[in-house]
Amino acid sequence: MVMVYEHMEALVRRALSLWVSFFQNSLTRDMEFKANFLGGLFVDLVYYSVYFFLFNVIYSYVDTLGVFSRQDIMIFLVVCYLADTCDMFFFSGNIFSLNQLMVKGELDFFLLKPVDSQFITSLRKVRAYALANFIILLALLIRQIYYYPNNIALINISLFILSFIMGILLWYSIDFIIASTCFWFKNFSVSGWLSHEILKFSSRPDSIYTGFMRKILFSLMPMTLIASVPTRFLLYGPDWDLFLWQLFITIIFLFSSRVVWHRGLLRYESASS
Amino acid sequence: MKSWLIKYFAVVRMTWIQTLEYKANALVGTFAIFSGLFIEFLIWKQVFQAQNINEIRGFTFNGLMVYIFLCMIVGQLKSSWATSMEMIDSIRTGELNKYLIRPISFFTYHFMMFIGHNSLFYIVYTIVIILFPILIPGWCFHTKIQIVGFIISLGISIYLSYTIYFCMVCFAFWFGEVRSLVIAYNIANSILSGQIIPLRLFPEGAREIIFLTPIQYLVDFPVSIATGNLPIEFWIPKMAMALLWCCIITITGRILYGYGIRAYGGFGA
Repeated sequence: MVMVYEHMEALVRRALSLWVSFFQNSLTRDMEFKANFLGGLFVDLVYYSVYFFLFNVIYSYVDTLGVFSRQDIMIFLVVCYLADTCDMFFFSGNIFSLNQLMVKGELDFFLLKPVDSQFITSLRKVRAYALANFIILLALLIRQIYYYPNNIALINISLFILSFIMGILLWYSIDFIIASTCFWFKNFSVSGWLSHEILKFSSRPDSIYTGFMRKILFSLMPMTLIASVPTRFLLYGPDWDLFLWQLFITIIFLFSSRVVWHRGLLRYESASS
Repeated sequence: MKSWLIKYFAVVRMTWIQTLEYKANALVGTFAIFSGLFIEFLIWKQVFQAQNINEIRGFTFNGLMVYIFLCMIVGQLKSSWATSMEMIDSIRTGELNKYLIRPISFFTYHFMMFIGHNSLFYIVYTIVIILFPILIPGWCFHTKIQIVGFIISLGISIYLSYTIYFCMVCFAFWFGEVRSLVIAYNIANSILSGQIIPLRLFPEGAREIIFLTPIQYLVDFPVSIATGNLPIEFWIPKMAMALLWCCIITITGRILYGYGIRAYGGFGA
């Protein structure tokens, strides 16, 4: 047991130190192209503004969408943006280019390295500018929570953090599974677009989904577990069944991403495949 | 004129053949429209039910859905951001040189490429638009003149949209990296042109600002013609205004390109 624990600890330490190196490299590169850095911030600012505007227009015709009032929806939107920013920071730069790596055969370089192939293909590029966005959005979320009319307990915040992390992992798993299908399609250049369209379901409050669709979005295509459920924990308190369900679904999807990746690698034919 | 047509038709044909290899684009595009429509359907259904109303600013629920559906199609057809990215890259990497030493226009060549790339979308969406009034009659294209009006205004919208993108692309001569500008415009445009929510539902102040810009002619104008939301007597003045905007932005693009080409170094950035 001790041996297993020590082995796991060494693995985690190695993974962390590798990721820190990835981050330093990415930060150095991003700082060389400051226009990209500022451009990224500008794009996100526009993205946040137009979606705030969109929901403001919708809420000028209605007081609540299900349980979500106007104030709730503003917190939900900040949570959505935070999830998007975390995905940008850690994963999106890598997953987006997976198809190109496969088509050009550049994936060989990562497969030959003495490190887990899914780890390096998912995390080697870090979009450093997302860190600035994350800090701004976090400050905005804290402000929103502070001015929220109802009391938000510490347990809500703790559950929210855990649920939010699970939401990010779910987002990553779905995005990665879709991108990994390029091994079967040979050239699936629109996988990023498809992911974006599927993940769009997560950027609307879960209360709009009813009946069969709601069941699907809580299980087979668990978009509501990415931002809506963490927001529910934050605003309306613990729901342990839902929390355990989210944990179960996250494990299933993470495991599936590994299975799909390894199955896909078996089909990979190296350069110009 | 004949040689001009032959030359650029060859570009359209070449990109058309390339596009046919990537049929997944059309599939994902169609999925994007229907998934987007489905989300809007759920949101507005809740709004109509919660408020217990039959109409919002002249839109019934079904009328609103038809409007949003057509907006999403037009929004995709006019968006040339992918072509714009290629143009920015060719300025940054010095690939523009090949357009300068050949009897070919950078503007027209890429416009034809954009038409060629989008050709698969045109076919798929034309089928959808033809099927739509047959399967669900009475919500759009009530008269034949509306079909003609829609096609003309759609053509204007596609050209106008391309010229706006072209102006942004020209800034790459000075700043190199303008992809963020194009992406930001694309995101903002998806909301502000009425692609997700009709302009008529916007607050008065926002609408007044949008009506001062050419944005209203990109999506709202063709769709309003198709759905009968715009009375026929306003078509000609609006089309004239849209064409005027096309001229203004085309000239602006030419001026920017003319100055930009002098600043262009001809080597990779």
